[in-house]
Amino acid sequence: MNARQKAVADKIADYLSENLRLPRENITYDVPLFGDGIGLDSVDSLEIIAGMDLLFGVSLIGAHDSVFRDIRTLSEYIVNNPDFKENKK
Amino acid sequence: MNDRVVITGLGLTCAIGGSADECFNNAIAGKVGIKEVKSVEHSACYAHIGGEYNEFVTPEGEDRASALCIKAATEAVTDSGLDVSADPSRVSVVIGSCVGGAVSIEKFYRDYVADPGKASGEDVLKMPISAIANNVALKFGAQGAVDNVANACAAGTMSIAIAADLIRSGKADAVIAGGSDPMSSLAFSGFHALHALDSEPCRPFNKSKGIALGEGAGILIVESYEHAKARGAKIYCEVLGSGVSSDAHHITAPAPDGEGMQSAMERSLANSGIKASDVDYINAHGTGTPLNDTSELGAMLRVFGQDGKVSCSTTKSMVGHCLGAAGSVEAVMCVKAIERGIVPPTVGYTEEDKAAMREKAGDFDFVPNTGKQRKVDYVQSNNYAFGGNNASIIYAKEGVERSLAQPNKERIFITGFGIVSPLGNTEEEYAANVNAGAAAKRCENCGDYISAVGKEDFDAVGIKLNFYRKLDKLSQMTCVSGKRALANAGITVSDENSRKIGIVAGTSDGPQTDIANFQKGIIASGTQAGSAFLFPNTVYNAAPGYFSIAAGVKGYNVTLSNGAASGIAAVAFATRVLHTTQNDVILAIGADEDSETVHMLYEKAGAIAAGMTPGDGAVTVVLERESSANARGAKKYAEVLGSGFAHCPTEFGKYGCAGKLKEAIGLALRESGVSAGDIGMVMTCTNGVNSLEEAEKDALADFAGAKKVSVKALCGEGRAASSALSVAHAAMMLGGVIDGGEGEYALVLGASVGGSYNALVLRKA
Repeated sequence: MNARQKAVADKIADYLSENLRLPRENITYDVPLFGDGIGLDSVDSLEIIAGMDLLFGVSLIGAHDSVFRDIRTLSEYIVNNPDFKENKK
Repeated sequence: MNDRVVITGLGLTCAIGGSADECFNNAIAGKVGIKEVKSVEHSACYAHIGGEYNEFVTPEGEDRASALCIKAATEAVTDSGLDVSADPSRVSVVIGSCVGGAVSIEKFYRDYVADPGKASGEDVLKMPISAIANNVALKFGAQGAVDNVANACAAGTMSIAIAADLIRSGKADAVIAGGSDPMSSLAFSGFHALHALDSEPCRPFNKSKGIALGEGAGILIVESYEHAKARGAKIYCEVLGSGVSSDAHHITAPAPDGEGMQSAMERSLANSGIKASDVDYINAHGTGTPLNDTSELGAMLRVFGQDGKVSCSTTKSMVGHCLGAAGSVEAVMCVKAIERGIVPPTVGYTEEDKAAMREKAGDFDFVPNTGKQRKVDYVQSNNYAFGGNNASIIYAKEGVERSLAQPNKERIFITGFGIVSPLGNTEEEYAANVNAGAAAKRCENCGDYISAVGKEDFDAVGIKLNFYRKLDKLSQMTCVSGKRALANAGITVSDENSRKIGIVAGTSDGPQTDIANFQKGIIASGTQAGSAFLFPNTVYNAAPGYFSIAAGVKGYNVTLSNGAASGIAAVAFATRVLHTTQNDVILAIGADEDSETVHMLYEKAGAIAAGMTPGDGAVTVVLERESSANARGAKKYAEVLGSGFAHCPTEFGKYGCAGKLKEAIGLALRESGVSAGDIGMVMTCTNGVNSLEEAEKDALADFAGAKKVSVKALCGEGRAASSALSVAHAAMMLGGVIDGGEGEYALVLGASVGGSYNALVLRKA
């Protein structure tokens, strides 16, 4: 990850920790967010979609499931999105 | 036995009218009241419509939930000709609500965010659900039981079922029953966050993508047949049996198999002594969300078949989803359908839709688009809620055949405890700390008594991080307390017993902390940015809902919100549930949380200045029928002998007159067959507030010889947690687990602001 993507990834991890009440240390770049990893569910994914819009101006509605795999894939999708704003909030 | 319960008065306000007649006439004509929402800012949302009744303007200084409720109650009381003042102690009030004072909550936090000093204590008193029934009782002078039912979208149906049970158990002659909920930014933003709103008017069971929110209040005068006959009242119809069950599946979504819904439907039929083929009309929950509609339609087709003999509609297609009022709004529709012999329609069906529905459900009759004249002798009304709570009830034409399930007369024992308190998180730790005279945990800055649950507690009761991270403190404490109570009682939940284990939860203030977090979030970022994660936690029945999922219990599930006495009220209510339902075990849970937010609210309301020190916790008392306890050789700590309640109509926020506490004690002693001199111990309810101290001193004049014990002196005013802890503490003293027990009998007291008093008598087992 380059510095720009890393900054986004860390911001996402902080957001998930705070808004989904997860211990920050459990959220690494590569831990699977759904299934056997952190075990997020459909309500959590709505919170992630809302959060990414709020933080970066990027809409994840309609994004492929693979985007949500982990923090690395999420941050990659976000920095490469034309709507990406580094410091929207 | 006197089991005939009738409806003698109706009141209704919702999107299609300001009276029961106006609403019903519009409903059978298929008039839709869903239009652009005016009272909530929704410009950045993907949906903009809902069912408001803008003709009704909330009077200055009042909360909209209470004001709507009083409007409908005034219509119903007038319609019934009931003279409450003739025998006020025999008139009760039972009101269901989901969001309660949400309009006042928004106002308070808007003021608070702008300037904490500006936010008003008067608004704090309008926030909790428990204010609503109190305000109705104050308006009409009712002095019987005053209960608020807080089971989200099933609350309106449950309140009428509870009213009928109160009458059948001889505790009331008439009940002002129903539900009320306003349009609110809280609900609009929450359902929006869950993507559960439809941007078009909803067409339940058809192409609908979600709900349209509504608002309103429906009130019914539920009365004993003898009482109604004696005063020459007009009788609309009878209330037969009901069924309540729990999915134990998911906090917001119904179980896809619809098994819990089916169980509630089947129980209401069985408890009424009628067959599915007797039912002429079903008023379905039919919210319009694909998840609800699929599960519900499956359950209905299994119970009723698809031959088209029964007509089924959802009036939400015209009035929107009125949440905690929905069941009562729909009850009024059902009663009018019986009276008029015409059933209201489900609207929005095109010819193409009808063909698609035939593919899906055969000849099942959804009453498309306009009302239909037909025989309407038996009606079933169903509602389902967050937390996986399901409720079903039967209304029937006066005098038709039925054979109601008879109550059992079994003795009820306390067979276990789960205690989360400032004095420890297990019953053993609590008892050891009390016996050792240890001091409770307190907050350093504020002095409040604080409970705390953590990873080690969840590990011990087998709840994983994936689950407990979602919970607010109220739910966390409830889950730990409930799971430990099952273990303490030696109960293992299995497929065989899961539908025979139920929950009656009591909470004074519900999840005020996450309500504040959610509301502040939308104040900061807009209605479109509500948190999907937090919203499920904002309903009062979330905590017992989460617990039912964690423990797999699928029986009865009702949440009462009656102020600080909610814990003792839950125990008394659970005893009645064990007598009148198929449940063998009820976990009576009293829970309330403290936090910076809750402390601030009590400070604003003036309670802390008046001498009250907040506490918190969750206390579960396992109540069990004698046959069940004997069959599994359970340890019995104490027997619940009897209970009493009385209400002194009082402005919400103040304690009521002393005479009513005395009356509650007298009723409890009489039901228990004991006299004041028999009582060895009294668990007091005072909390440092002068007016309550004086009331209690007066009421206890006959108990000079009894030992007085106060859990609030040990753990602060933990509200529902304290009043449930009083019951547990007394049973543990009678059972010898806590030292210093005296005598065979204990009297437990509870008091709530607004004027409600409870008393309960326990006997050593």
